[in-house]
Amino acid sequence: MSYMIVVGVTVVIYAILTVSLNIIVGYVGQPNLAQGAFLGIGAYFAAVFSTRYHMSFWLTIPLAFATAGVAGLVLGAISLRLREDFLAITTIGLNFVIVAVFQYVPFFGGAVGIYAIPLPSIAGHQFSNNAFLTVGLLMLAFVMAVSKYLEHTWFGASLMAIRDDETAASSVGVPVASYKVIAFTLSAAFAGMAGSLYAPFLSAVTPTSFGFIESVIVLAMLIFGGLGTIRGAVLGAVILGALPEAFRFISNYRLLMFGAILLLMLRFQPEGLVGEGSVLVKLTRRATEELRRRRHKGTTDSPAAGV
Amino acid sequence: MALLEIDSVTVRFGGLVALREVAFDVDEGQFISIIGPNGAGKTTLFNAIAGVIKPSSGRIRFQGREVQGSNPSHMSHLGVRRTFQVARPFASMTVRENVRLAAAGRQVLQSARALGLRGRVRPLADRVDGLLETTGLTADARRRASELNIGGLRRLEIARALASEPKVLLLDEPAAGIGVDGLRPLAELIGGVHHRGLTVLLVEHYVGFALSLSDRVIVLDEGTMIAHGTPEQVRNDERVITAYLGKAGGGQGARPPAVPTGPDAPGER
Amino acid sequence: MVLSSLINGIVLGSLYALIALGPTLIYGILRILDIANVAGLTLGAYTGLKVFEATHSLLAALVVAMLASAAFGYLLQRFLYRPILGRGPLIPLIAGIGVFIAMEEVFRLVFGPYPLDFPATVPLPTVHVGGAVVTGVQLLILIVGIAVLVGTWYSLRRTRLGLLWRATSQDTETASAMGVNTGLVIATIFLIGYALAAISGVLLGINYNTVYPTMGDIPAYKMLAIIVLGGLGNPLGTILAAMLIGLVETFVVAYLGFVLPRDAIAFIVLIVILLVRPQGLLPGESFGS
Repeated sequence: MSYMIVVGVTVVIYAILTVSLNIIVGYVGQPNLAQGAFLGIGAYFAAVFSTRYHMSFWLTIPLAFATAGVAGLVLGAISLRLREDFLAITTIGLNFVIVAVFQYVPFFGGAVGIYAIPLPSIAGHQFSNNAFLTVGLLMLAFVMAVSKYLEHTWFGASLMAIRDDETAASSVGVPVASYKVIAFTLSAAFAGMAGSLYAPFLSAVTPTSFGFIESVIVLAMLIFGGLGTIRGAVLGAVILGALPEAFRFISNYRLLMFGAILLLMLRFQPEGLVGEGSVLVKLTRRATEELRRRRHKGTTDSPAAGV
Repeated sequence: MALLEIDSVTVRFGGLVALREVAFDVDEGQFISIIGPNGAGKTTLFNAIAGVIKPSSGRIRFQGREVQGSNPSHMSHLGVRRTFQVARPFASMTVRENVRLAAAGRQVLQSARALGLRGRVRPLADRVDGLLETTGLTADARRRASELNIGGLRRLEIARALASEPKVLLLDEPAAGIGVDGLRPLAELIGGVHHRGLTVLLVEHYVGFALSLSDRVIVLDEGTMIAHGTPEQVRNDERVITAYLGKAGGGQGARPPAVPTGPDAPGER
Repeated sequence: MVLSSLINGIVLGSLYALIALGPTLIYGILRILDIANVAGLTLGAYTGLKVFEATHSLLAALVVAMLASAAFGYLLQRFLYRPILGRGPLIPLIAGIGVFIAMEEVFRLVFGPYPLDFPATVPLPTVHVGGAVVTGVQLLILIVGIAVLVGTWYSLRRTRLGLLWRATSQDTETASAMGVNTGLVIATIFLIGYALAAISGVLLGINYNTVYPTMGDIPAYKMLAIIVLGGLGNPLGTILAAMLIGLVETFVVAYLGFVLPRDAIAFIVLIVILLVRPQGLLPGESFGS
């Protein structure tokens, strides 16, 4: 049971990462292969401040949010100068740069990282795994709620307009540059927030946990579930996050699985499992429509039977 | 004071002079067409006004404020909205969502409804419906924008541009690629919008189409303004006739036949 | 000291040029940053090693490695890249990353996680130039490097394939409208690009006497940096950029030493270059025009 909860926390952290990554990749259509690095920034700042300055867990959450957000802001500013594949490789590079900073700047504890991160406490009680899960779910709910809210605001619609056609978006009054930067900042900040949970949960952070591979894994989860949708982001994280835990033998082939998923999904089902326009969604839509029509037909044919 | 003042605008691309000291005023409520043979600088002038490119020299004033070298988003907020020659819909959205995005401005959409501010949302929805009605897109409202044909896309461009209630509408070759039978409804749509008081600036390749709608016509040739006047004056201007005869070789350009048609075969350039 | 650093730098630069040349040709024609190419490099290294162990012939090792990698490259373009070409540059890039990490896992599963020795002796003498020493392996890298580069230059300038590559790289649509069989050109470029990757892999394995599953990691991002620095799809620019990076790295390590690892330096340089001069050192297009 306890093990299930540990898996649950891992999955929830991945889900926060995919849902936040979806803001930038799914809504704005910008490549970002550095979400793992933003998680790392949040985790590292939380770890440093809780071990060295005895900052409370609850304060490290906004700290991690803010520091990762600043990094996202920088990437957002960079993104204004670069297009598509060049932005993509820049984000790849960001992983290496940030990992190198963790490794070589003494403030971040060097190659061994930071360990003995204290357990958070609430009302004088130390966190149990259940508490981690609860806080994680609350964070996830928050990120999902913000994403959902975005989908229904002019801001969110503008982000999708930028994805469809930047020039046209600008012509209808969308401030493309500032909205892109805001989206990058928000997306990174959420990943950083997940980091503040990650650090005390694992009680240690090491530089290499936050590199390129981790970023690729998060992107693969998002693409697997379905780019551009919150349900896809969550589903991708849940399935691919839990799978290696449920079937231990998979963990030996983890990277093979993520690599294969990336290329197979992009080749055959780029909409993902439950993204807009995916086979599964189309089939469900058709089925529900069929059902509705039948029910409708039933009521008109024999009104009595329909009640 | 004119609504829009183009004050000796020059645009150079490297060594090439695309526009040379072009100057004219646009008064409120006017319908002005910019015509000229291919490569005359029509689109360049248009882009300069829309804030896409910065003039190398000269000034553009809108409501008395200098706006040259601004950006399209800012011009749009000031009330200068454009359409694109090659339609650029937000392909993943429905027709209605396209118009609504443009109509909403910076205001919040459904969240306002969620917060119980129904009063702010209702007028927006009505306005979007009205725009769809005006542009004849009501039946297509729920379709994805990517499914529209070229005529529908052109209408969507216009609906989207009208959505923010602009002060000046910039139309970039709305008739390009539309068959002869589509021209009249399009002319009616544009004419109707203008008659409701909107200032319109039209860049057009189909001379007849432009002349039939305009109050004033500006003729560009090789980046220079060679004529400026009423459609009647322009129609009889020797330089205009020479410019078109020299370029198009057809001669029908400056003297439009009864059915509006272009100096060249219809189609995108 | 200066002379030997210079020689080391040129050798390293030749190796980088070999690694980046294939992806450059592919970028030129498809506008895809083919990160999977380094999977071809590692595949070539392992294949070469296994053939060498069996035959003790370096030539046989090189030839079989080239064939294996070229076949891999052919399959990739046929079944992965070409079907998704119309979807912009990002989708193929990310799919390529998928191939890259999946193949690393495959190598680990097939050949084991540990580095293997590549104990090839090169049938070339060690040469003394001034006070500096050029080992047989270095000489081999220089000879192969120069041969490949000259061969590529000649092919692009003087052969029909080169003409087709240049036509297709400038304008795929027009080229195919003019009757160029772009499919065939693309397939050929992949065959060549992955054969070059195999050569780089074998030379890399011999030079450092080691072959391991993630040996493609560092070449992968060096390759990206070099392609961008060289002006994207410009083979001459790629060679110059490779030499520049090889020399700078050698001299920096020899004379300065650095706080950050080389990996991060290369990427910081890459990011700065992208921001300051996104078109690369030499502007686009083809060989020496």
